[in-house]
Amino acid sequence: MVTLAEQIPSPLHHPPLRDMFEARKRVFVDLLGWDVPVLEGRYEADQFDDEHAAYLIVACGDGRHAGSARLLPTLRPHILDTLFPDLCAAPPPRGAQVMEITRFCLDRSQGARERLETRNRLVSALVRYALENGIATYTGVAEMGWLQQILAFGWRCRPLGLPRTVDGKMLGALRIDVTPETPALLAANGIYRPAPLERSEILEAA
Amino acid sequence: MRTETLRQQNEIGDKGGLAASLRSRRVRGVMRTFDQAEAFLRDVSTTTSEVELADALATVARELGFDYFALTHHVDIRRAAQPAIRLHNYPEDWVQYYDDNSLGVSDPVHRASHLTSVGFAWSEIPNMLALTPRDHEVLARGQAQGIGDGFTIPANVPGETHGSCSFANPAGRPIRGEDLPVAQLVGAFGFEAARRLWRVRSADGAALPKLTDRQRECILWVARGKSDWEISRILGIQHETVVRHLKLARERYGVAKRTMLAVHALFEGSISFTDVMKR
Repeated sequence: MVTLAEQIPSPLHHPPLRDMFEARKRVFVDLLGWDVPVLEGRYEADQFDDEHAAYLIVACGDGRHAGSARLLPTLRPHILDTLFPDLCAAPPPRGAQVMEITRFCLDRSQGARERLETRNRLVSALVRYALENGIATYTGVAEMGWLQQILAFGWRCRPLGLPRTVDGKMLGALRIDVTPETPALLAANGIYRPAPLERSEILEAA
Repeated sequence: MRTETLRQQNEIGDKGGLAASLRSRRVRGVMRTFDQAEAFLRDVSTTTSEVELADALATVARELGFDYFALTHHVDIRRAAQPAIRLHNYPEDWVQYYDDNSLGVSDPVHRASHLTSVGFAWSEIPNMLALTPRDHEVLARGQAQGIGDGFTIPANVPGETHGSCSFANPAGRPIRGEDLPVAQLVGAFGFEAARRLWRVRSADGAALPKLTDRQRECILWVARGKSDWEISRILGIQHETVVRHLKLARERYGVAKRTMLAVHALFEGSISFTDVMKR
């Protein structure tokens, strides 16, 4: 199942998202060594985890977190314009039709094959979200090895500037343009997994 | 870096005009190099043949101050018949020597590129790998053929043959450090353009039947050195069942030996090194 959680007033205190914040800590802090805030020693959450963020969450068969991504509106402060403006040769694309993909996270508890499958489902969900919500462009920052993988998904990518070394890691900024043809491009690379996006229950209550 | 920033701030205070002009010149310099990468990407986005891609790579290599380029898959262990990527403008003699000695598999440049996702100068390789006498011989032989220092951008896509894009200069001419970020970008996008041309993934991957979870579990224990009987005890299933799982899995990859089975499963990402080494 793929869940969409958006307009959550306080995402960190939204129980269905707890698993995700814990998984993010294991991936981005424990595994990748990013210098990002950790709360209560368990949760990775920063200043962008607020009511403006949208989350796509892929669950395992038993309903637990398998992978997730955070989308930030570019009309508000986001990662690229706040933390990495130097990665863009020109001001980064922004607008109501542009969102930034951040915290693309694949749970470490999975084996290699499950992780790739979760990745495929998450990328497919990102494309579906864009097509259903009038998003024409995603932007994002990626470390070079991950950037090569992103290109290989087959969707249309362009660099926003020259890569740079930041804290010992070489990072690049990309834009990904999503059109009705994008699902076919992913399918040609064997990674398209169409699935409906289920809205997180609490949203209805809120 | 910090002192430069301070100096610029002072200049803005003293004589804003000069500082502004310095700044705009610096920005133009950055734009120029990113423009080179963008021009290359425009060229390759419409490329429909390897000749065009090779031309675009040769052009951008020259602009970046390099004489040679080579965009390659390092080895194709899955299937000899599967087309591997290789575009280059290296001297003919060197290519001959390289192929005669099957260096695609053992080239120290290629091995180093499996250790990182960031481009590296060949002069850094001794810091990345313990080089054998044979490696030194290969590097010296390249020099003798006129290949000097180079810069290699790794291109590793999970489940596919490792690859890389290299730029090199004749012996004796150093590489220009300031152009390496452009080279990194050109390498990443150049390799992806080649992948698209060769349709590496295409129907081929989809045609292979999937491993079942049980087959994969058995392969994991094979990779850890367990016998069929041991695996049957570990998983609590019949000995013959394990034999059957592994036989079907070997057929899937078209290999006869259990070691090759484990290597193929690792290569395609059905199991990972972490899975195998996990306690």
